[in-house]
Amino acid sequence: MTLALAIETSCDDTAAAVVDSQLHVHSSVIESSIDQHRAFGGVVPELAGRAHLTTIGPVVRRALENADLDPHRPAIDVVAVTSGPGLIGSLLIGLSAAKAYALAWEVPFVGVNHLEGHLFAPLLERPDLRWPLVTLLVSGGHSMIVLQHGPGRHEVLGETIDDAAGEAYDKVARWLGLAYPGGPEIDRLAAQGTPGALKLPVSMTGDNFDFSFSGLKTAVVRATEKNPDVALADVAASFQAAVAEQLLRKLRRTLETHSDVEGVALAGGVAANSALRRGVEALASDFGVVSLLPSLAMCTDNAAMIAAAGIYRFEHDGPSDLTLSACPNWALADVL
Amino acid sequence: MNVLAIETATPACALGLRTSDGIEVGWVVDDERHHTEALTSSISRLLSESGLHVRDVDRIVVDRGPGLFTGLRVGLATALGLSQGAGCALVGVTSLELLAHGAREYGTRGTLVCAVDGRRGEVFVQTFRLDEVVTALTEPSVARPRDVVIEWATKGAPVSFTGDGVERYLRDFAAVPNGKVDHQLVPSIAAALAIGSTRETVLLVEPMYLREADAVANFSTRQRS
Ligand SMILES: [Zn+2]
Repeated sequence: MTLALAIETSCDDTAAAVVDSQLHVHSSVIESSIDQHRAFGGVVPELAGRAHLTTIGPVVRRALENADLDPHRPAIDVVAVTSGPGLIGSLLIGLSAAKAYALAWEVPFVGVNHLEGHLFAPLLERPDLRWPLVTLLVSGGHSMIVLQHGPGRHEVLGETIDDAAGEAYDKVARWLGLAYPGGPEIDRLAAQGTPGALKLPVSMTGDNFDFSFSGLKTAVVRATEKNPDVALADVAASFQAAVAEQLLRKLRRTLETHSDVEGVALAGGVAANSALRRGVEALASDFGVVSLLPSLAMCTDNAAMIAAAGIYRFEHDGPSDLTLSACPNWALADVL
Repeated sequence: MNVLAIETATPACALGLRTSDGIEVGWVVDDERHHTEALTSSISRLLSESGLHVRDVDRIVVDRGPGLFTGLRVGLATALGLSQGAGCALVGVTSLELLAHGAREYGTRGTLVCAVDGRRGEVFVQTFRLDEVVTALTEPSVARPRDVVIEWATKGAPVSFTGDGVERYLRDFAAVPNGKVDHQLVPSIAAALAIGSTRETVLLVEPMYLREADAVANFSTRQRS
């Protein structure tokens, strides 16, 4: 059985985890530098880089200790690390450290695509799941619908043509004067508002599976300027409903056109959103398929999912070379 | 004692190894700023050519800056992973003191100003006195090259300048009448091995940035205005 240590530093979270090839999570540690970025309304790459360097040593040590491994001679078979996509300065710290641990322990290492990591997250909680699977992957940096024929065998059906869903949340939250990150704030407010209170268009981007969110922010700005008396909670609820509706309509279309699909999964940070979770559950029951809603900890960035994807890549494609570089724009479609 | 030295804070990526058999090797691995691609694989090669594993290394000496932020962090993250992974001791050195020790090796004596290119029209500087030993006369700081030049031209005392910050603004530095330029681009890896063998080890090497993150600097300016 393969035991992997994984490291994830693609954005503001420094994470490490120990996972085995049965996808049993022995430990998973996350330190976020989000508090340092809040005042700037977004992740500041240089601050994230500095925080990763300070945090990575203790985070890896805790992941090993929590898995009852000797930090100097751990029984690790492979070191997995996110090598893209993400912030270059942040990726480089995890990648450099991962290579160094691998060299020190004389074990191979493997570079992992962060998005593929997200796709493996549901497997860690539902080892019994059946294929094919449609995954709606939505986060601060990405929004896509992925058809998975099996673990590691994926096909991107549609993507955002402009902003990611999480990006739209942050922009609208900033416009409304809410704290960063915007997702949880809007979700919390939306619970007390009426979704239809503000008329917002649902952009459909034609007959494919692609999304578009940049127009929605403009629409929120216009609508709130025109109706300055609408309660903040109603604005939040209307915006959230419009985002969810666009995502869910495309997801519905996917299920209509791919009748062999066995389950529908949510992944990525925005998967913590309550409207989206409710919508996916309803959709799954409409189509009589299984809904896979990962726990909140598994939706957001973590290293356990990187370990799961890393073990798969290592067992199928072999280790990466020590000269591997970070790839800040590595598309999921370009994964082997 | 086996000592491994890592320097990635400047555009060059350099490695050094001193073994308990007294063999000393210095490699400039890369000068095109592909530090991440080159570093770990080169360390692996350097060690295996000497028949060593990482766990045979007693100390890792690493340049903690000042210099290029990203390269600096690649070096520190690598040193951290190696030392934490194999349980070897860590020693931090600064790029400025490596330049000073390197210049002394080449025979420079008296007052020496070391300057590392800090980009954006600035240099990271520190003044040393070189005689039997190297003594720091000032703390490392950020400065505009022109201000350093004016300061020393005004003082009129004999002084030497060295480092890639001097090479970058060579016309300015070469114009100091009482000054002399020591051409030295890369912080001395031999000095890193020498200092690293004697200096006290630390649990964690702190990077020396000398400058806050851009966003933070801009933000506090905005808050004040
Ligand atoms: Zn993510």
